[in-house]
Amino acid sequence: MAFQILLNFILAFVWMFLKTSYSPASFFVGYFFGLLIIYIFRRFFTSRFYLLRVVAVVNLIYIFSKELLLSNIAVLKAVLRPKLNIKPGIFAFPTELKEDWEITMLANLITLTPGTLVVDVSPDNRILYVHAMDISDADEAIQSIKNTFEKAIMEVSR
Amino acid sequence: MKTNDVILQTVTKFTLFVIILFSIHLFFAGHYYPGGGFIGGLMTSGAIVLLLLAFDIKTVKMILPFDYIKVVAVGLLIAIGTGAGALFFNMPFLTHAYTYVYLPLLGKTSLHTAVLFDTGVFLVVIGVTMTIIQTIGESE
Repeated sequence: MAFQILLNFILAFVWMFLKTSYSPASFFVGYFFGLLIIYIFRRFFTSRFYLLRVVAVVNLIYIFSKELLLSNIAVLKAVLRPKLNIKPGIFAFPTELKEDWEITMLANLITLTPGTLVVDVSPDNRILYVHAMDISDADEAIQSIKNTFEKAIMEVSR
Repeated sequence: MKTNDVILQTVTKFTLFVIILFSIHLFFAGHYYPGGGFIGGLMTSGAIVLLLLAFDIKTVKMILPFDYIKVVAVGLLIAIGTGAGALFFNMPFLTHAYTYVYLPLLGKTSLHTAVLFDTGVFLVVIGVTMTIIQTIGESE
């Protein structure tokens, strides 16, 4: 991925030298043509076309902001409710992610989900211990985390 | 004897893109400077020939899964289409039109239908060259 971005930048600069115009506009034109060439030759590289990964990162940021908003609303509801009928508890969440940054990212995202909080990570990085505000639907929480966050992070790192 | 082409392949991985970018530069230079569809297409197919020299025919087919005869057909259709387009405006065949447009980022740009015709030439040249070379390369 880094090689493709570097190549695209070099191609943009080559385009500027060919045109002998050093304005930002010609840089963007060169960057666009470089992107086009890299897209046509995308099977030439060992990793996939890097723009897809950029899209995945943008998608992850979108999910992050949405969950941040929803979690604050959920906590607000719980605080303002006159009777506190929640059942807190800790459940184990088995993760398939391997890299350190992926696990860190997942843990931070879970912490920002409505009503869940990562307490600890097992020594072999396979299980996250999550504290839930309402433990009664732990299975459902695991499934929803798996389907949204873990999938989105895998989409970035694949 | 099987030789190790690692140097050729590594240099190709970078040079290829610079050559194709230069051919795009030549293609768009065609109106005011030396260049145009023919030399641009020929240089693009030159880059693909470099790829063929560094790797084998199967790898190149995997990287660029195009049927080059269809590329020729598409190029000819584009060229005829731009020519026939003039007929809809009560003009003789192959009359071209141009206009100045203010594009974001690019500023004042002249858009000329001759570029579309040149695109057809570009595709036909690539298609014909690659068909010739691949047909010769495949026959034992």
